[in-house]
Formats: sequence, C-alpha cells, structure tokens
Amino acid sequence: MTTLATLLRHPQVQGLSFLAALVLGWEVAADVGVLRPYQFPAPSRVVEAVWEIATSGFPEGVKLTTHGLVTLGRILQGFLLAITLAIPLGLLIGWFPVLDRMTLPVITFARSVATLSLLPLAIVWFGTGELSKVLLIAYGCFWVMLGNVVAGVKYVDPVLIRAARTMDASGLVLFRRVVLPAALPRILTGARVSLGVGFMVIVGAEMIGTIRGLGALIMEARTFYRADISLAGIAALGLLGFGFAIGLGALERKLLPWHRGLEDVRR
Amino acid sequence: MSGLTGAPATGDAARPKIEVVGLAKRYADVDAAQPAVLERIDLTVAENEFVSLVGRSGCGKTTLLNIIAGLIAPSAGEVRVDGKAVTGPGGGKGMVFQQQALFPWLTALQNVEFGARTRALSPAARRREAEQLIDLVGLAGYAERYPAALSGGMQQRVAIARALALDPQILLMDEPFGALDEITRIDMQHELLRVWSSRRKTVVFVTHSISEALMLSDRVAVMRAHPGVIAAEFRIDLPRPRQRTHAEIVALHDRIWRHLN
Amino acid sequence: MSASVRWRDAALGGIGTLAVLALWEAAARWGGASPLVFPPPSTAVVGALERVPGDVLVGHVTISLQRIVLGFVAGATLGVVLAVAGGWYRILGNLMRPIVELLRPIPPLAWIPMAIVWFGLGESSKVFVIFLAAFFPVFTNAWKGVTGIDPVLLRAGQTMDLTGPALLFKVALPAAMPDIATGLRIGWGLSFGVLVAAELIAADSGMGYMIMNARQLADVGTIILGILMIGAANLVTDWAIGAVIRRRLGTWHPV
Repeated sequence: MTTLATLLRHPQVQGLSFLAALVLGWEVAADVGVLRPYQFPAPSRVVEAVWEIATSGFPEGVKLTTHGLVTLGRILQGFLLAITLAIPLGLLIGWFPVLDRMTLPVITFARSVATLSLLPLAIVWFGTGELSKVLLIAYGCFWVMLGNVVAGVKYVDPVLIRAARTMDASGLVLFRRVVLPAALPRILTGARVSLGVGFMVIVGAEMIGTIRGLGALIMEARTFYRADISLAGIAALGLLGFGFAIGLGALERKLLPWHRGLEDVRR
Repeated sequence: MSGLTGAPATGDAARPKIEVVGLAKRYADVDAAQPAVLERIDLTVAENEFVSLVGRSGCGKTTLLNIIAGLIAPSAGEVRVDGKAVTGPGGGKGMVFQQQALFPWLTALQNVEFGARTRALSPAARRREAEQLIDLVGLAGYAERYPAALSGGMQQRVAIARALALDPQILLMDEPFGALDEITRIDMQHELLRVWSSRRKTVVFVTHSISEALMLSDRVAVMRAHPGVIAAEFRIDLPRPRQRTHAEIVALHDRIWRHLN
Repeated sequence: MSASVRWRDAALGGIGTLAVLALWEAAARWGGASPLVFPPPSTAVVGALERVPGDVLVGHVTISLQRIVLGFVAGATLGVVLAVAGGWYRILGNLMRPIVELLRPIPPLAWIPMAIVWFGLGESSKVFVIFLAAFFPVFTNAWKGVTGIDPVLLRAGQTMDLTGPALLFKVALPAAMPDIATGLRIGWGLSFGVLVAAELIAADSGMGYMIMNARQLADVGTIILGILMIGAANLVTDWAIGAVIRRRLGTWHPV
C-alpha cells in the first residue's frame, strides 16, 4: 500500500499511467463502438496495421522498412546537398561584411518562402520524381543552414579574435583555428534545425506523386479508408523524428565537448 | 538603541524581535552520514538590532536566513517573530538577495511600487512612497530605468528600496553587496547605514566579509560548517560610522578570523 | 546605428537584391529555356497579374490568412495555457508531459490525412493542422520559460507576500514572456509552412490552392507570383509580430 503510494508519487509513473489509461479508454471506446472505427481505429488495430505494413507491406509489397528508408534517403540527400553548398557560402558571407549586407534581404526573403509552396514549380521544372523531392528538401535546409553559418561567423566574440591576434594568428590560421571552432555551435544548431525543416518538408512532398515513403504511405492509406495504416505511419514518422533528435543531440555532444549548449546558457 | 526602555538584564536588549530556537536543517535525500546543514542554532535578535551572520561559503548562513524569511522550512526547532512562529514568507519581513532579484520587466520605480503593493495606500500615495524611497537610496533620476540599464550597485539600491517599501519591521539581507566591486561595496555600506538610520529596522545581514560585518553590525554571529553552527558571537559597541583602522575593530577582526579557522 | 550607416546597408541590400533579379532575368532571356517553363521575373509577375483578376487574388489571400489566424490563435492559446498550467502545477505537468513528448516529434503535416478523416475536406481540417503546427513550439517554449524561472525571482515575490496564483500571474508569467514570445514567432513561421501544404493537398481556395491549380494549367507565372506572395505575406506578418514583441518586451529584455 505504502509502496504503491510512493510509486505513484514518481512523475514518470503518474504520466505514463495517465497515458496508459487514455490509450485503454480509447481501445474500449473503439471496441464498444463509441468511436467510429474508420475515424479512430482501436490502438490494437493500429498495432496490427504496423505488423501488416512491416510484413506484407502497404501498398502490397512496399514494406515499412522500404517506406522508412526511402524517406530517410530523400531527407539525407537533400540535407547533404544543402549543407555542402551552405557551409562554404555561409563562411564567405559571414567573414566579409559587405557580402553579408548585400545578401541579407535575399536570404531573409528566401527563408520566408514556404518551401512547400515551391512544390508546383518543382513539378513543372523537374517532374514528380525523386529530383523534385530532394531539391525541395535541399531548398528548405539550405537557407536555414546558410543563415546559421553566417550568424556563427559574424557573431564570433571579438575578444577571441583579438586574443588570437596577440598570438600572431592571422588570415587562414585565424579563420581555421579560432573563427571556425567558435562558429561551430551555431553551425550545428543550423544543422539540427534544417534537418527538422527537411523532415517537415518531406512529409508534404511525399503526399504527391509517389507511393513510396512514409508521407506517401499515410496519404495512400487514406484513399483506401485505412485510418489504422495512416496512424501506424504517423507513429513511424514520430519515431523517426525522435531518432533524429536523439542522434543529433549525441553528435553535438561528441563534436562540442567544450560547449554547454545555447539552451543551458540562457537560464 | 536609544528607543528602548528599561535596563536589559543581559547583554541583549529587552524585547526580542526574532528568536531562533533549537533550529536544525538536514536534507532528507542526502545520506544520514552527511553532517547537517544547520545544527542546534539559537539566536535572538532584539528590536532594531543589526546582526550579521559571518562564515565561509557552505556554512549554512544563507540557509539560516532563508529559514528566518520563511522561504525554507526547518527540520527541527523554530523561528519566532514577536513570539509567533514563522510559517511562511511575507508578513513584514523584507528581503534583499545577493543575485539580481529585481523584476526585469518593471522599471526601478515600478519595482519599488510593487513592494508597497500590499500596504493600505492609495495608488497615488503608493507612488509617492516609492518615489521617496528611490530618492532615499540616491537614485533620483533613474526611476524610469529598467534593471538591465542599471549598474550592479544601483540594482542593489533599488532592491533595498523595494524591500523597504513593504514597510517591514525586519530586513533580511543575503550578501546584498557580495557581487559588487570593493569601492561600490564600501559606498553601499555607508548608504545602508544612512538609510537604516532614517528607517530603523531589525536587520539580519549575511556576509562573508568580516570587515563588512564589523562596519555595520551591533553584533556578529560567526558560523562554522559541517555541521553549520554558530561558533561565537561578538558585540560591537562602537558608534557609527566606524573606522576600519580603529584598534577595537582590528582586534575583533583578528578574533573572528581565528574563530573561522 | 547612425542614419548614414543604415542608408549604406539598405543600399547594399538593394544592390544585392537587384543583382539576383538581374541574374534571373538574364538567365531566363538568354539561357535558352522556354519562357513558358522558365520565364524572366518581369514577364512572369506582370503576366500573372494580367491573367488572375485582382479580386480573386485578394480572395485567396484572405481565406489563407483567415485559416492561419484561426489555427494559430487556437494553437498558441492552448499551448500557453497548458504549458503554464503544467509548468506551474507539478501534477498537471506530470500528467501531460509524456503525451506531449510522444506527439511532438510527429511533423504536423503527417496529420493531414487524419485531419481529413476526422473533419472532412472543409475548413476545420486545415485549421486543425495549423493548430498543431502552432501548438508544439509555443508549448515547448512556454514550458521552458515557466520551469526555467530564476528561483530568486520567485523567492523575492514570496517575501513580498505573493502566493499561489498571484505569484504565477505577477512573477512567473511575466518572467516567462520572452520564451513565450520566441515560441509564438516559431509557431507563426511553422503555421505558414503548414498552411501552404495543407492547401496544396486538400483545398479549393487559398494561396496554396492557387499555385497548385496554376500548375495544372501550366501557368508558371502565376505559380511564381503565388510563391512570392506567400513569402511576402510571411515576411510582413513575421515582421509585424516581431515589432509588437519588441515594443512589449524590448524595454527590459534584449530581443
């Protein structure tokens, strides 16, 4: 009795049991017919749907791993294309104030253009195939990354640069040994945010003109009135997003052992 | 001590304002082998007396002050103000913190007005009171500034004015000048004495500076750590303002220093 | 910043913008691509403005803004209320935390099919997706704000006789405002991205629909006009929100 009481005082226990109660309530409500199954398929149906996509696939033959890998592949291609272009360009713009001032309005505007609004244009120019999707992701990632690289270089603490100059560092040495490491936290923030953007864009891009990928899966399932499959796909997307967050956090800690993280400093 | 009537029986004044009785504080989740943060603390502060708590960092002086303020509950013993047990913060106990604790979204004047919020004053009277306090701490002309636009010393002046705006009978100060440079710090000590002489309060003042305690206090309680106890008390019967080089101050400084080691 | 420096910066920005437009114009005119597929900016925008009647254009913009405002206001309001309540009252926070953490990594667009299943093809499904896009960043930032308050501010409030809801509304909420403002801006940007996508996929009005429809008519000019309009609308509204935030918080908080 007392052990149960102490257990229930634990925050995670409270939260998870509440969550479990909600899921159970949903299951019961769906089973007795309070919730319409085509709108709110029971959690057990969703689990079965996961199994169905994982084994026989949906549409028939396209399995969950395929959907996941296709989506992941598109994101990574677009992301890599974007950072390959954005990092050198951003370093250049950030280091030369004139370039920064000249490009500021263009970058600001390009960042406010909703990436998915380019979808129709991409289809006209590059068709409905892979290229369109990868380029859209690249567009979304590119501007976020560029903005962060520029800011990273621009806002390096002048004290660090002065300190380096007193140690006779200049030119490329100064740039490579001082400016670049000091800008790295922001660059990594840019990478994280732009991956998030890519992740958002891909779902929209996959809803048109393909049957492969998690975005296509959930959209395709709807046309077959398979809400259970849609929900299973949504769960898979959530898992993928969660994996990204974990992976990038670990990468950041590995690359920046000296950095406390911008979030920590703010408090 | 001129306002007190009757002859004190002991060294302490007749009317105790704050009584700390058998106080102890230990944190439950720390293992039992750890010494208590505070142990067997007894302290009496007379009305309008200025008492300093001095000790190394980690001796529990801030914890003791927070317990007196009612911000932290003790594990044993109690704190009484005017004979009534303290159960929570507020109720005529003003506090000045070491860190910047002004509300950054309010101007200096608004911060002070906020302190006067619970007093039965009309809004106009409240504003007048706040303006007077701003003047009292020497910040006329800075009333409309936000804390971010004030220096550290000015921020602490506002913090003192805000605590005084409560019209508290007790003023608790937690290393209020600890983050200031030495010159500003000495200025602020003079300033505090000036303010205190015009608005008499019972003050408990936490500091890690022996000389600061000696310049300001009627009495100094020296604390030692592991477990946190009051190791000794010293009475300073010298008129203010005091000279740092006064023979008695120098001698007391030495004796306190020895008690800390 | 002095006026002359501001002018110089504006001039440099203008030069950069014109250079990009000129590059585009030149590439389109002499690059060899068909002007139907890759028109120069001048003819694209002018041509589109001739083809699309003004009132139709205004109608699309209006309906889009209506959707985004509805969804954003609902999402942001619920985000602030839940985060502040959960961040302040521990038991509520404990209960909602796992649910939010579970749903947060799901991109809002992934809910489009379910939104259609739940709300049909009408307005509610679009508003719902925008609602989700606004909710999570606002919730996350407001939560961070409320739970990350410097404890000394709360203690200072307590020594001034503030307890319970008074402490929440007079100290915790103002202290969390900068974080809430950050969340609102992120949420607004995200709402915009989501709005277009929702309109591309399931709508018969709005700016997203307009450009998707233009694609079927192979009207690249209108697509480009639409893209520029969406970008401009985002830019202007974001700037306006930023200006309001600066006015409210800029006095005491570096924004």
